[in-house]
Amino acid sequence: MAVTRNRLTTILRDVQFWVPVLVLLAGLMVLQWIR
Amino acid sequence: MDPLDHVDHARLKTLQLIGVASGITAGAWLGAAEAPTKMVTLGIPPVVVSLAMVVGVFLARWSVPALLRGTGAIGDDVRQAPHLVVWAVLAGCLWAVANTLTIYAIKDIGLSIAFPLWNSNSLLGIVWGVVFFSELRDAGRARWFGVAGGAVVMFAGATLLASASAKQAPAGHALRGVAAALAAGVMWGTMYIPYRKAYLTGMNPLSFITFFTVGELVMMTVIALSDQGGVSPLARELVQARAVLFWLFAGGFVWVLGDLFQQYAAKYVGISRGIPLSNTNQLWGLLWGTLVFGELRGAGAALTQTIAGSVIMALGAAAIAFATATGAEHARWQVAAHREGARYGVDEHYVRAGLTGHGTTSTRRSWVDWAVVLLATAVLVGFGLVARVPELALEWRAMAALVGVSGVLLVGTGWALWRTTGFN
Repeated sequence: MAVTRNRLTTILRDVQFWVPVLVLLAGLMVLQWIR
Repeated sequence: MDPLDHVDHARLKTLQLIGVASGITAGAWLGAAEAPTKMVTLGIPPVVVSLAMVVGVFLARWSVPALLRGTGAIGDDVRQAPHLVVWAVLAGCLWAVANTLTIYAIKDIGLSIAFPLWNSNSLLGIVWGVVFFSELRDAGRARWFGVAGGAVVMFAGATLLASASAKQAPAGHALRGVAAALAAGVMWGTMYIPYRKAYLTGMNPLSFITFFTVGELVMMTVIALSDQGGVSPLARELVQARAVLFWLFAGGFVWVLGDLFQQYAAKYVGISRGIPLSNTNQLWGLLWGTLVFGELRGAGAALTQTIAGSVIMALGAAAIAFATATGAEHARWQVAAHREGARYGVDEHYVRAGLTGHGTTSTRRSWVDWAVVLLATAVLVGFGLVARVPELALEWRAMAALVGVSGVLLVGTGWALWRTTGFN
């Protein structure tokens, strides 16, 4: 359990996770706008 | 035993060549995926077309890995680096939204403007490769020039090709269409961050895509449900389209074969070289359109433009293909891989084995694997039996030639991958 939590924390601190997440959110916003 | 202890210059060179061949094969098969969808001439909503293709993609993404390595090997990979499942699902979501955006972009500004706009993803891929994964570091000026210059030349060739293939005038929502195409390019360019991250950490591409497609299918289903206004209207559209679903599934299936090679290209030559090489799909798509389906027939100026664009695009791809990574650059990749492994506590032996194309997992098939393959085959055969073949005038000799060349690339590169890396 501790290992899983540690891994999750590492993911959330990884900039390479947040860049795709932010791009995905921006893409969804563009999709919502054009529809 | 540390695999890198045995890696010599010759093996790295072989892996680079296999990566380049994978990129070129990816272009051929991603382009060929457009052929089955051209059999669909009914007025089906674009989002439903996209969803049906994703279902075909899902079938292929589970059955091909089950056939080549077995689902047991996928489980072994996940146990080694479970965090990568998050990135795979995230990449799948990015793909689904980007693909939907391209449909709207084509509708609003036409293929001629939209295609080169979203193909700018290769330029963004170079940026992410350099910034996050030490690609092109210590590569020398000639290789920098080869990759960046080649990508720009390909972009110019793509613009010419797309302009020549324009069949319809823009529909009048220029800003909306440009925004959709650019957003799709940014999303597809960013989607390669998870790809490269997974392969630097040692994950097998055949394992990565099985989770990628979960994100793809879930996100596409949500978009289709939202677009059609619920389950019942969506189901009604799918039932009405049942006679052409086979062609869309087949398009998705062929697309996956191309994407699989794209994954190996990203693994062995990095995203800065892998994305531009697989972006030659535009060239292959146009070859199918003009030679087999008779598009641009009698269009003199457009044909000249097509030939010029094709030559320019091929030259750009050649420049990238010849700019393979040096030993010094590969050493920087190894440092980046070590950093990734240390950050997530992945076994160093597993990371290094993956980077050098060696496997650490068993590849025995079980009844589950055969069940997955049988189920996927049954679905395709079932929809194939009720499929309607539209009356189209096809150039059979050109089709045979394109199928032959694509087949040779598939078998040749597949054989080289299996022989050198065992599909690792």
